[in-house]
Amino acid sequence: MAIDPGTLLQILFWGLYAGCIYILLATGVNLIFGVMKTVNFAHGTLLMLGAYVTWSFFVATGINPYLLLGATIPVLLLFGVAIERLAFRPVLGSHKLNEIFLSIGLIYLFENGAALIWGSDYQSLRSPFESVVIDLGGFSLPLDYLIIILATAGMLAGLSVLLRRTRFGLALRATSQNRKAAQLSGINVERMDMLAFGIGAALAGAAGTLWAVSGQVFDPYMGSVPAVKAFAIVILGGLGSIPGAILGGLFYGVAESAATYTLGGAWKDAISFVVLIAVLVIRPTGLFGERGE
Amino acid sequence: MALDLARLSRSLPWIALAVGLVVPFLAQGSLYLLTTASIALVFIIYTEAWNFLAASGQGSLGHAAFFGLGAYASALIATSFGLPPLLTSFLGGLFAAAIGVLIGLTCVRLKEWFLAMVTFGFAIIIQTLMVSPFAGISGGWDGTAAPPLVSSSVPFAPFVQYYLILAVLIGVLIGFRHLLTGRTGLAFAAIRENETEARASGIDPVRYKLFAFALSAAVAGVAGALEVHQFAYVTPEIFGTDYSFWPIVYAISGGLGTLAGPIVGTIAITILWEGLRGLGLTYARFVIIGLLLIVIVIFLPKGLISLPERLRDWRGRRGEPPP
Repeated sequence: MAIDPGTLLQILFWGLYAGCIYILLATGVNLIFGVMKTVNFAHGTLLMLGAYVTWSFFVATGINPYLLLGATIPVLLLFGVAIERLAFRPVLGSHKLNEIFLSIGLIYLFENGAALIWGSDYQSLRSPFESVVIDLGGFSLPLDYLIIILATAGMLAGLSVLLRRTRFGLALRATSQNRKAAQLSGINVERMDMLAFGIGAALAGAAGTLWAVSGQVFDPYMGSVPAVKAFAIVILGGLGSIPGAILGGLFYGVAESAATYTLGGAWKDAISFVVLIAVLVIRPTGLFGERGE
Repeated sequence: MALDLARLSRSLPWIALAVGLVVPFLAQGSLYLLTTASIALVFIIYTEAWNFLAASGQGSLGHAAFFGLGAYASALIATSFGLPPLLTSFLGGLFAAAIGVLIGLTCVRLKEWFLAMVTFGFAIIIQTLMVSPFAGISGGWDGTAAPPLVSSSVPFAPFVQYYLILAVLIGVLIGFRHLLTGRTGLAFAAIRENETEARASGIDPVRYKLFAFALSAAVAGVAGALEVHQFAYVTPEIFGTDYSFWPIVYAISGGLGTLAGPIVGTIAITILWEGLRGLGLTYARFVIIGLLLIVIVIFLPKGLISLPERLRDWRGRRGEPPP
C-alpha cells in the first residue's frame, strides 16, 4: 500500500495533536508520582473539569477560549492542591490500595458532581479559528492543531524551566529523588506534595481546555478513556519519568492516528491497550522505566 | 462479656443465614423488594469474587470484564443451544475464568499501580471489542436477550429465583472460606505482605496469583450471568466502570479481606442507595457514595465491620473502662 507523503504528514500531525492532550495528562500523572509516589486514578476527571471550567468561562465572558487557558489553569491548580490536602494526605504511606480506592471515590464525586452542576448532556465549544486552514503544499493543516501543538510545547517548556531553573523546582526534584534527605535539608515535603499535585491537576485542566477548544464533545464521564490512554503512555514511558511521558505521548498519538487511518475509527481507543499489553508483556516496568514499581 | 461477644460472633453466620432465608417472606409480596434483594445477593457473590482476588494482594479496577463476559457467554449459550440458564451461568463462569487466566498471565508480574491500570483498561478494551469486531455475535450496543433464570411459568418464580441465587452464594462462601482458612489463605497472606519472602519460603507467587485470578473471574462471571438472567437482557454497558467499581465500593465499605465484609457492605450500601432513590436523588446519590467511600478509606480503613471495635476504642479513650 503506497501512501503519499501528504497523507503521511497528515497522520503525523494528527498524531502530534492527539498526543498533546495525552502528554499533558501523562506528564501530570508522572509529576505527581515522582514526588508523592502515588498514582491519581481520578486524573481523567481533572481533564473533564478543565473542559467544563473553560466552557463556563467562555459562556460567561465570550473571550477567545485559548486565552481562557490562563483562567482554567489557576482554578485547577487550586483544585489539585485541595484534593491533595483533603483526600490524599491522610492516606499517604498507608497501603497503596487505599490510594487507589480513594481515587475511585474521587471519580464518583467529580463525575457526578459535574453532572449535577453542568448536566449530563454532551457539550461542545467552537474555536474562533474553526475554519482557518494553513496550506502546506501537499496537505492542509487546521490552524487549531498548530496552536494546540505550540501551546503544549510552550507549557512543557515552562514546566521544564520551573523544574530546572528555580529554587522551587530544585526542591521539588529533591523531594522526588529522596524524600527523607529533602526533608532533612529543610524542604517542606508536604508543601511539595500539594504543589506537585496542583501542577499535575493544572496540566490536566489545560489538556481539558485544549480538548474542548479542538471541537471535541465532552460530558461528565468523558475522562476515563483519555485517562486510560495516559496510563498506557505512562507505562510506555516509565512511571515517574517526564521525558518518558513526552516521548511516549508522541509515539502513542502517532500510533493511534496511524491505526485509525489504516484499521478504522473503531480501533482508535482499543489501540491503547494493544500498546499497553504489548509493552507490559515485554517489559513490565515500561520501555524507559528504570524504577520497578 | 468478652465471652458472650465471642459466642455471638460465632453464631453470626447462622443468624445471617436465617435472615437470608426469611427475607422473601418479609418482602410481603413486593416484587420490587424481592428483586432488589436478589440483585443484592448477586452483588455479594460478585464482591466476594473481587475480594478473593484482593486477598492475594491484587486490586482489580476492571472486574466488570469478567462479570460481563460471564453474562454474555451465558446469555449467548442459553439462547443458541436452549440450555437452562442455571447451567449456562456456570459455563459463563468457566468462559470468564479462561479469559481471566489470559489476562492474569499479563498481570501476575505487575505491582499495584500497573495492575490497576491494566485491569482498568481491560474492561474498556473488552467493551470496545464487543461493540465493534464482535458486534455480529454480541448484538453491538443494542445488546442481546438472556432467557430468564426461572421461567415465569414456574409457580412463585421470583421466590425460586431468590433461593437459587442464595444457594449459589452459600456455595461460594463455603468454598472461599475453605480456601482462605487453609493453605491458600496463608500463601495469599504471605504474598500480600512480602512477595520475596514468600518465594523464599517455597511459595510460588505466580501460581497462587493466577489461581486467584482464575477463580475470582469464574465467580464474577457466574454472578454476571445470574444478574442478566434476572433482567433478561444484557448490553455492553455491563463492561462500564460502574460495574467495575461497585464491588470495590461494597468491599471497602464492609471490610476488605474478610468474608463478612462484602456481605455487610453490599447490604448497607444497597439500603442507602435505594433509600436515596426514594428521596428522588440521581447524580447526588453517586456524589454521596463517592464521599462516603473517601471518608471510609480515610477514617475507617477496615470498613463497617470494624465499627463496633472502633466505637469501643473511642469510648475507652474517653476515660470509660472498656467493656
